Amino acid sequence: MIYLDNAATSYPKPGDCLRRALERYLELGASPGRGGYDRAVQAEEAVSAVRLKLARFFGAGDDAHVCFAANATDALNTLIQGLARPGDHVISSRLEHNSVLRPLHHLQQQGIISFDLLPFDSKGYIDPAQVAACIRPSTRLVVITHASNVLGTIQRIAKIGAICRQHGIPLILDVAQTAGCIPIDMQLWDVQGLAFTGHKSLLGPTGIGGLVLAPDLNPQPTRFGGTGIDSANPLQPLFYPSRLEAGTINLLGILGLAETVDFVESYHKAHYACEMQLFAQLVDRLKRLPRVQLYAADNPADHLPVLACTVDGIAATDVGAILDGDFDIAVRTGLHCAPLVHETLGTLGDGTIRFSLGPFTTEADIDAAVRAMTTIVG
Amino acid sequence: MTGSSAADLQPVVRIIGQRQIVFDNEGFLNDFSDWTEELCIMLAGECGLAELVEKHWRVIRFLREFYAGHGRAPLNSQLKKGTGMSLLELETVFPGGIKNGARRLAGLPNPKTCS
Repeated sequence: MIYLDNAATSYPKPGDCLRRALERYLELGASPGRGGYDRAVQAEEAVSAVRLKLARFFGAGDDAHVCFAANATDALNTLIQGLARPGDHVISSRLEHNSVLRPLHHLQQQGIISFDLLPFDSKGYIDPAQVAACIRPSTRLVVITHASNVLGTIQRIAKIGAICRQHGIPLILDVAQTAGCIPIDMQLWDVQGLAFTGHKSLLGPTGIGGLVLAPDLNPQPTRFGGTGIDSANPLQPLFYPSRLEAGTINLLGILGLAETVDFVESYHKAHYACEMQLFAQLVDRLKRLPRVQLYAADNPADHLPVLACTVDGIAATDVGAILDGDFDIAVRTGLHCAPLVHETLGTLGDGTIRFSLGPFTTEADIDAAVRAMTTIVG
Repeated sequence: MTGSSAADLQPVVRIIGQRQIVFDNEGFLNDFSDWTEELCIMLAGECGLAELVEKHWRVIRFLREFYAGHGRAPLNSQLKKGTGMSLLELETVFPGGIKNGARRLAGLPNPKTCS
């Protein structure tokens, strides 16, 4: 199989990393932070080291709080629901994934918040000045995706962060698509809260993600339960990470992430330029095909290796089926859980075909994809 | 957010041959067991397919038998093998292509997932 669906989850995974993580997991065995015996303490130490590694990886500073979650959606729910208060106004965008849109709609439906969604231009970018224009006295949060999961366009977060800082409004960044692809610097960009997933460009297993918080951002807990500490307290402890981590954490996932983050920092960092060259080839060759319409692919400098397109006269779903069934090429078609992007593009009915490259994509894969698309469009 | 409104997603009830048949908003049968050959021929006519010939029936029968036996639509590779056609050929055989043509005429449910 030629795998071009890395924006959904990366594949293949670096097998050696995950094997080492499994060995370490089997060796440690105990529940982190849930006992005073040596193994439990060692497990907790291992987890703490990963928290610090991630804080540094995201440029958050050593005093940042890192809390684990199941994925970016889980982390975004914790952040949005933990920060929004009755009467608050939230600014987000039409580029967002349902991981942001649905929590916002839920809170709006409950009568708790109101929100505005910033538009994006024909090239797939939000104008940072629009953030300033939307700010009201009641604006409590700005929640923005770092890069669109449909279009691959990387947003100008430093500019948005500067506006948020100027107005004293926390900026929450969804880095589901960018973490592991491009450098992220929370402090430099004035990002107060960040939600990540481990299984995309961080190359880790599914089921592990988390959030990183600047020291002065304190979401209220939205889930409650065992923390292995302060157990006589009937309320959720308000110190970190227990504040936002109820229940036993995913030790195997965390150990896997620790390994793959190291891998990303060495291998992937060195190979990302090649990945983007392959992406440029794909764009250049597909845009020459008749009946193929590319979306927001004009600016490779501020782009992830993610390409959305349609074929005139063939439903995107069917193009995906043909690529899979006839050419053994895996892509994602449809709405990609980001309906407002498609509404803006005019592709809400059938969606688009999304090619997303990864660190292990080869030139031969791109050749095969272009050949297949050439055959499909006749 | 606009997106699909509740009205857009309302099922459509049609009276066909004295039977009440429920379709979803994209024209897919709500109930797999409502399908009949006569209904299929009528739906084909509505989408510009005046006559269903052997290769159409081969696909439709395969889809229905597979769904009845497995409770799901065939994988792309199974569809190709089971019909003896490439998916690209299948796309051209039915107006509306694989999903909105073959699958819909065979009375399979609308695949709601992003595939």
